[in-house]
Amino acid sequence: MYIYDKFDNTVVNERVADFRDQVRRRLSGELSEDQFRPLRLMNGLYLQLHAYMLRVAIPYGTLSAAQMKKLAHIARKYDRGYGHFTTRQNIQYNWIKLEQVPDLLGELAEVQLHGIQTSGNCIRNVTADQFAGVAGDELDDPRVISEAIRQWSTFHPEFSFLPRKFKIAVTGAARDRAAIQFHDIGIQIVRGDNGEIGYAIYAGGGMGRTPVVAPLIRGFLPKPELLSYIEAILRVYNRHGRRDNIYKARIKILVREIGAEEFTRQVEEEWALLRNEGINLPAAEEARIRKFFTPPAYEPAAKAAGEFEAQRKANPAFARWVETNVHTHKQPGYGIVTISLKPVGEIPGDATADQMDAIADLAEKYSLAEVRVTHVQNLVLPNVKQGDLFTVWQALGKIGFADANAGLIGDIIACPGLDYCALANARSIPVAQEISKRFESAERSALIGPLQIKISGCINACGHHHAGHIGILGVDRAGEELYQITLGGAGDETASVGQLLGPGFKADGIVGAVEKIVDIYLELRNPGEEFLAAYRRLGPAPFKERLYASH
Amino acid sequence: MRVIEIAVGKDLKPVSDSWSRLADDAAPKAGEKVIVPLARLKSGDNQIFAAAKVGVEITGGDAVEDLKPWIDDLGLVVLRFGTFKDGRMFTAARMLRQRLKFTGDIRAAGDFLPDQVVFMLRTGVSSLEVADEFPLEAAKRSAKAYSVRYQHAVDTQPVAYEERARLP
Ligand code: SF4
Repeated sequence: MYIYDKFDNTVVNERVADFRDQVRRRLSGELSEDQFRPLRLMNGLYLQLHAYMLRVAIPYGTLSAAQMKKLAHIARKYDRGYGHFTTRQNIQYNWIKLEQVPDLLGELAEVQLHGIQTSGNCIRNVTADQFAGVAGDELDDPRVISEAIRQWSTFHPEFSFLPRKFKIAVTGAARDRAAIQFHDIGIQIVRGDNGEIGYAIYAGGGMGRTPVVAPLIRGFLPKPELLSYIEAILRVYNRHGRRDNIYKARIKILVREIGAEEFTRQVEEEWALLRNEGINLPAAEEARIRKFFTPPAYEPAAKAAGEFEAQRKANPAFARWVETNVHTHKQPGYGIVTISLKPVGEIPGDATADQMDAIADLAEKYSLAEVRVTHVQNLVLPNVKQGDLFTVWQALGKIGFADANAGLIGDIIACPGLDYCALANARSIPVAQEISKRFESAERSALIGPLQIKISGCINACGHHHAGHIGILGVDRAGEELYQITLGGAGDETASVGQLLGPGFKADGIVGAVEKIVDIYLELRNPGEEFLAAYRRLGPAPFKERLYASH
Repeated sequence: MRVIEIAVGKDLKPVSDSWSRLADDAAPKAGEKVIVPLARLKSGDNQIFAAAKVGVEITGGDAVEDLKPWIDDLGLVVLRFGTFKDGRMFTAARMLRQRLKFTGDIRAAGDFLPDQVVFMLRTGVSSLEVADEFPLEAAKRSAKAYSVRYQHAVDTQPVAYEERARLP
C-alpha cells in the first residue's frame, strides 16, 4: 500500500499544528463557535447531539495492520472503546472531547492517518473498490489514481470552498463495488479502441433528498489527462453550482438544471484550456505511486487445497461462510475475506477496540498486513491463503465477526440516526438490529439470497436507502417516527433509485413489513432469481397490493 | 479599513493605499485611482478612464471573462466575498492570472477568514482589504502554515511531485 514520504508526512504534521492552534483559539474564546465551525469541519470534527464526533479518513478504504491498531488505541484512549466504520470507508468516533483532538490527531499522524477533508464543502476522501488489486475482474488497480486524486485534492486552493461537499469514487472493474454512479464524479477504468487504459467519467450522481444516477459525460479519457479533466469539472461546478440553497447545491442539481449535454460542453470547453496548464500527473509520479501497489509475491497455489475441501465438508457453517464471505481472488489459492461487521442484533459498522486489535493481528498473520474498509461498512482481509481460511474464520468467531451474511439480508447499512444525529427524524440502528434478529437464521437468509437493505434516519440519505434493494427512510409525521419503504434501488453497475412503495409504517410495523416483502418475493420468484431481478421483472404492484391489503 | 499586501514567502504587510471607490455617476478627479463596479465598466462609460488608474470590483456571480476588453487598462481587481463560503473567488483569482494574464493587484474584500489566506496566496490574490479588527496574526500564521503543495495553481513554487523528482 501507499507509504507517505517526507512530503506527505509534512502535510499531515503541519495540519495538526495548524489545528492545534485553531483549537487553542477556540478554547480561549478568541474564536466563536461560528468562526471555528468551518475550521473544525475541515478536520472532520462535527458537533453532534451529545458530543463531538471525529471522522478519520481512510483513503480508498485501505489500512495497514499498524494503522488499524492505532485506530483501536484511539477508541480506547479518546472514545468509549469503540469506533464506527462508515459508508465513506472512514471511521468515526462519537464521544470526543475538543481539548483532546489535537493530541488525538498527533497520534494518528504517527501512522499517517488524519481527518483532512472528511467533512466540509470540499473534495472528500476518495473511495474505491474494496477489492482493488485482488479482484479477478479488474482492468487496472484503482488505488493508483485514487492516491493521485487524494494528493491533488488535498488543500486544493481553488476547491476548498465549493457550493457543497464533493465525492469521487473509482473502480477498476466492470462489476461496480464502489457505487460510482451515485457519486459527484464516478471514474471507471476502461480500455480504449486500441486496448489502451483510460477512464469513463460519470458526473452528477448522488443520494440525499434528490437521488440521481450519474450520466456518463465522457466514454473515454486518455490516462494521462485525468487530473486536468476532473479539475475542469470542479471548476465548472465551483463557478456555476448553486449557492443560494443548500439543498440544491450539489453538482447533480447543476447537471440536471442545465442538462448533461450542456454541462459536458462546458466541461470540455474548460478542459481544452486547462489541459495545458500543467495540472496532469507526470508519468514519473504515476510510476512512483504505482510501485506501492505492486502485487505481493504470492505463494504458488496452496498445497492445502485438499484440506480446505475437507474443512468445508466437515463444517457446514464454515462452508456457508466461505460461500458468502469469501470472494474469488485473482491469485489461485487465495481468497478475499469479507469480515461482516453486522453480527445479529448489533450496530452495523461498529467495532470495539479489542475487535479492531484482533483484526489487525489477523491481517498481520494471514493477510499481508492489510485491511480494507468497504462502503457497506464491513472490513476485508484481501489476501488470505485458502489453507488459512478455517483458522481465520475460527478467530473471527471468537470476536463475534464470523456471521455468514455478506451481501445477504443481515448485511444492512444504517446511518447513525436519532441515536447520534442531530438531523434525524427517526432511529435507524434499532430497525437494523430488529431486522437482523428477525432473519437470524443463516439457512433462511441463504435461501433468500443477495438482498441489500439500507436505512436512513432522514432524507439526507446517509444510509444510502435510495440504493437499497429494500430502502428504509425515517420520516417525521406530526411528531411520530414513521418509516417509508423504497424498492428496487441498486448501487452497482446497473445503478437505479428505489421507488417509494406507499405510506410509511410505524416503528412496531416496519420489520413485519420487510418480512412480508421478502415472503412475497420468495413466493413469486423464478428459480434462482435474486430479489433485485425479481423486483425489476415484477414491478411494485404485487408488493404494494399485498403489503397494504390488510390496511 | 486597511489594506494588507500578501505575497508567497513574505510576511503580510499593512500598506498605505490610495485607491478609492468612485460614487455612482461621479467622474474621477485627475490623478485619482478609482474602483468602480463591474456594471459601470461594462456600461461603456469612458469618462472613468480619465482617472490615473482604474480598478474594478466583482462579486461571486460575475464572470471574470467579462473583464477581457479592459484587462490591460485595469490596475486592480477587487474580489468581494459575500461570505467566506463563496469559493468562486478563488477560481476568479486564478483565472485572472492564468487566463487573462492579469498582472495588476488582485484584492480580496468582504467576508473571509484569516485561515483562507493560504488559499488566496496560491490562487494569485495579492492584497487584502480588511476591517481594523481583522486578526492579522492568525492570517500571518495561515500564510506560513503549509510548506508542501500537492497541485499547481498560480504560485510557482515546486509541487510535491516535482520536489520528489529532484531527490537524489
Ligand atoms: S441520514 Fe439523516 S439521520 Fe441519518 S446520519 Fe444522515 S443526516 Fe443523520
